[in-house]
Amino acid sequence: VPTILLVEDNEMNRDMLTRRLERKGYQVIAAHDGGQGHELAHAQSPDLILMDISLPVMNGWELTRRLKSDEATKHIPIIALTAHALATDRARAFEIGCDEYDTKPVDFARLQGKIESLLAEKKTS
Amino acid sequence: MKLLRLVNLSIKRKLMLITMLTSIAALVLFSASFLLYDLISFRHSLSADLATQAEIIGYNSAAAMTFKDEAAATVTLTALKAKEDITAAALYGPDGKIFASYVRANNKSSLPSNPPPIDGIHFKKGYLEVFHAVSLDGEPVGTLFVQSDMSQWSSRAKRYATLLVIFMLISGLLALAIASKLQGLISRPILRLEDTMRMVSVKRNYEVRALKFYDDEIGKLIDGFNAMLAEIQQRDTALQSANVELRSRTQELESEISQRKQAQEELLNAKRIAEDASRAKSAFLANMSHELRTPLNAIIGYSEMIEEEIQDTGHFQNVQDVKKIQSAGRHLLALINDVLDLSKIEAGKMGLHLESFDLAQMIQELASAFQPTIAKNFNTLELDLSGDLGLMRADVTKVRQILFNLLSNACKFTNHGAISMRIARTEMNHRQWIEFGVRDTGIGISEEQQGKLFNEFAQADVSIARKYGGTGLGLAISHRFAKLMGGNISVDSDLGKGSVFTLLLPAEVNAEPSEPVKPTVHENVAVLESKPQADTILVIDDDPAVRDLMSRFLTKSGFHVVAAADGEQGLKLAKRLRPRVITLDVVMPGIDGWGVLRRLKADSELAGIPVIMVTIVDNAVAALNLGASSYLVKPVDRDVLTDLIQRHRGNHISANSQDVPVSVSVSSEEEPSCT
Repeated sequence: VPTILLVEDNEMNRDMLTRRLERKGYQVIAAHDGGQGHELAHAQSPDLILMDISLPVMNGWELTRRLKSDEATKHIPIIALTAHALATDRARAFEIGCDEYDTKPVDFARLQGKIESLLAEKKTS
Repeated sequence: MKLLRLVNLSIKRKLMLITMLTSIAALVLFSASFLLYDLISFRHSLSADLATQAEIIGYNSAAAMTFKDEAAATVTLTALKAKEDITAAALYGPDGKIFASYVRANNKSSLPSNPPPIDGIHFKKGYLEVFHAVSLDGEPVGTLFVQSDMSQWSSRAKRYATLLVIFMLISGLLALAIASKLQGLISRPILRLEDTMRMVSVKRNYEVRALKFYDDEIGKLIDGFNAMLAEIQQRDTALQSANVELRSRTQELESEISQRKQAQEELLNAKRIAEDASRAKSAFLANMSHELRTPLNAIIGYSEMIEEEIQDTGHFQNVQDVKKIQSAGRHLLALINDVLDLSKIEAGKMGLHLESFDLAQMIQELASAFQPTIAKNFNTLELDLSGDLGLMRADVTKVRQILFNLLSNACKFTNHGAISMRIARTEMNHRQWIEFGVRDTGIGISEEQQGKLFNEFAQADVSIARKYGGTGLGLAISHRFAKLMGGNISVDSDLGKGSVFTLLLPAEVNAEPSEPVKPTVHENVAVLESKPQADTILVIDDDPAVRDLMSRFLTKSGFHVVAAADGEQGLKLAKRLRPRVITLDVVMPGIDGWGVLRRLKADSELAGIPVIMVTIVDNAVAALNLGASSYLVKPVDRDVLTDLIQRHRGNHISANSQDVPVSVSVSSEEEPSCT
């Protein structure tokens, strides 16, 4: 069962996404800020990370940069989830090292497609 | 010099001088001739006088001579004492010897010793001398000599000269008086004319006139001068009034200029303020959209989850309510997206992602997606795709969004009606255009409402928003999207009968004129959408120098270049970026170029991207067999590569089905514009 780390500070969104992902059969671990996200990424070594961008303690850009520059975690695919739907955010997400990008509110079917393709890509390589 | 000084004398003096000189010369000439004449005639009378006297003395002394009476002769001679001018007298005997003599006391001249043989009277050394033969009864007895000095004559001459000088002085003075009196006849008008002229030239007073005295030549000169002056005065007046007008016009202009400058500054200020406000608004909207999306995320997410759970547990009666929550949430999301779109357009941040696509296919897809919406209000949809529409180059998402809006409106405002969409290719102003006409038989729009139809939040009527819903932003956004692509939307409608919306777009949309392109080379990280209007070229090469070089010249040619240092990264970037063209090195560490090419062609999504192999190994046949579009041997000719990319660029869409290799030698094909 693939493990997904969800880093999201909004309680409702965290709860809702966790439950929906679990319904689709993923194992979900959730972090409510950047610091906890960093710890869990190292401790649990998840198969994929869903990353909110505006986070307390350490924001999503910073956390992504750290994880992608760390040998232990750089292989974990990261999907940036942001409410900033501006093209510059999209560009920035890829620039910083995210593997995918999606906007909130989440189109769940689309997000699941992206998760699946990243997990499949990871398996082949 | 002296003459020059005379010439330069004032006219008054000249006139006087001329008069004086003329009269003095005449006087001198006259007096001299008169004096000469008088003195000559006086001399004649003197000598006649002396001759007569000598005859008388000779007669008186003839007897004494005859009788040799010396005393008597001397007495006779001495009687001459009474005559003041007789200076000497002598009687000579026939032998020529002096018989008797008389010499005045102060006489210094001596008596002549011998009388001349003949009589005569002559002037000698300032004296008049007479020799007279004395005879008695016809018998010569001797010769008489009488000498007279010229004292009478010279005193007369002196008197005359004095008189003449006095006369000349008097007449000279008289001439001077007359001349000085009369020269004014000529000099006064001239001097007055000169005064007037000086006044005109010094004081620039053109109102004065020279006074005319007489109707002579000077009078005519003054007349001419006055006429000239009148002309000058007239022109001066005209000139001055023109000057005054010019000055006032200049002042007007200056004040106008300063007013304009001020207005310009105010405008600039206003513009700055407006721009600041616009930026603040955009930032506010971006933030708001973030704040709104987060709770919305929860609303939609939970309702979707509840719907799934309800369906799992079989409580279908609640599904409709949950669906209402979802639809309200989606509507809210659409609103937020529209507002964000609008703010992006207004902030000038809305870029175009141009690509070529099959127009007919896009329309068919759109129509089939729309079928449920059409059916909802019991409408029918008729498609009219006239002729071969072919490829269109535009931002397909935005074209789709515009048509989506137009069709949504048509469906929303039409019940039990017919909706038709007509698409045709036309030519206008030497350009190919695509015309999309969306017609409905709905409620229609009044002329007044048509005017503000494309403004934000300007639904034709407030009540309409309540009845039909909608953000009121759809048409405004569509209109701006159309403008952004160089096209337009217009409307034609009859209230109660229906509306026709016509979207006109260039068949080949040009990207907005871009700023000068800076080379952007990224070794490990790709940048997306920083230049959405440029075509992305992916350069896969392990040599940093080659990457740098290719990036530079391709950027200069107007492409957006992303570089990858190895095959793995190249594949990843290809998947994410879907570049227009890929250039691929063969010899690389890790997966080599052949491996990358094989994997690209194996991926259905990436197989359509044209790949240009760039290598030092000449193996064109293998490359083309493996699916490469072209093959170039290093060192790469910049122009050949750019040309090749230009040509492959357009094949992207159709490349999926028919990937035609293009060889380098083909060069006469028309290139699609990339500005």
